[in-house]
Amino acid sequence: MVTVLLPGLLADQAGGRKEFQLEAPTVGAALLALPVRDLLFNERNELRPLVNVYVDGEDIRGRNDVDTELSDGQTIRVVAAVAGG
Amino acid sequence: MAPAILVGTRKGLFVLKGDETRRTWKLEGPHLSGWDVFHAVKHDGSLYAAANHGVYGATVQRSDDGGKTWERSEGLGLPEDHELTLEKTWHVEPGPSGTLWLGGAPGVLFRSADRGESWEPVMSLIDHPTRERWNPGAGGMCTHSIQFDPKNDQTMYVGISAAGVFRSEDGGGSWTPANKGTAADFMPDDPFPELGQCVHKVLVHPAKTERLWQQNHCGVYRTDDKGETWERLEDNGLPSSFGFPIAIHHRDPDMAFVIPEDSARGSAGEVGGGDRVTSDGRLGVYRTQDGGKSWELASNGLPEQAWVEVLREGMSSDRLDPVGIYFGTKSGSVFVSPNEGDEWIEAAQQLPAVLSVEVAEW
Repeated sequence: MVTVLLPGLLADQAGGRKEFQLEAPTVGAALLALPVRDLLFNERNELRPLVNVYVDGEDIRGRNDVDTELSDGQTIRVVAAVAGG
Repeated sequence: MAPAILVGTRKGLFVLKGDETRRTWKLEGPHLSGWDVFHAVKHDGSLYAAANHGVYGATVQRSDDGGKTWERSEGLGLPEDHELTLEKTWHVEPGPSGTLWLGGAPGVLFRSADRGESWEPVMSLIDHPTRERWNPGAGGMCTHSIQFDPKNDQTMYVGISAAGVFRSEDGGGSWTPANKGTAADFMPDDPFPELGQCVHKVLVHPAKTERLWQQNHCGVYRTDDKGETWERLEDNGLPSSFGFPIAIHHRDPDMAFVIPEDSARGSAGEVGGGDRVTSDGRLGVYRTQDGGKSWELASNGLPEQAWVEVLREGMSSDRLDPVGIYFGTKSGSVFVSPNEGDEWIEAAQQLPAVLSVEVAEW
């Protein structure tokens, strides 16, 4: 079982839920199981480029992106890229 | 009936509710906080919003309770194996037989028969054989105008920047470019191409349905033959050929309203779009009452000194008598004329940048 934490705007789009507990072998599988999958991925199931994803605090880009494997008890945090003024 | 105005902004959707005089307005919102609301419309009691987010992509959202709660259309997009992906949603338009139509970027069109629960890509337009000759404008390659002939439910039009106007006579099954007479002054080697024009907004007149009005990057136009030929309305009182929105009088087919920007005279070979602020340093609405033969400044009550922008979705009109005209600015004001442009009232100010203004009954 892993935990997925969503930021406020995504939680609003997920019916007000900020936290999900689910079973998934990879980060991609976990995110695709969420009710906001269409906001995280485009229609080709490509992760949107400004969606940042961390597993236990580590950016998945430094690991195996959405194919990063998960272990029981890990926490996935979704964070929108911050930029602009 | 008192109208309400759906004001789509960079920071959500606001609703302005007026009294019967249309001189007093109450602001509600924002709804869909955090979303860029490119356009919103009320249809059959529900609100539909083309809502975009810089990180989370393009959506259509529906509210069945006046904006209190919203439901997102899931599964919106192009076929997974298509070379294109959906970039933005731009405009939701109710169509015949309870359908809804959605225009978006890059030059795409969708149809829904289930109140926006699901959207079917209109592949006849998306895979149009001329697509390789389409090019994006500054706002992306957006399908922003979707218009229906109320007397013939098989006839419809779309406007795409910068591909031009396309007409369908079979309910969206096939599309023909309808740009003859509209200029592409930015293409000096071929200023009247079959397509590639930078159309900014197109409206069908609901009473005289063979007549369409168009504000283009290169002029204001009128057609009286369903887009077979367009007449450029130039050097007749307008300070510029460039502008974005256009509004019409729903009963009088000869009356229309535009808000020119820059100071481009197409007849002199000038191409607008360099400054993109209102002409002559003022906020001027120009009105024609003779089908575009002449235009007059109708700015009583509008700021005399102003450099503002009004976007392509930023102007609308109601169906009351006299007709009310509405527009919003990127600097966050909404102006209302309760009497066909004779006078103007600032109904709201200090809003986020206004992206769209649409009239709704409430």
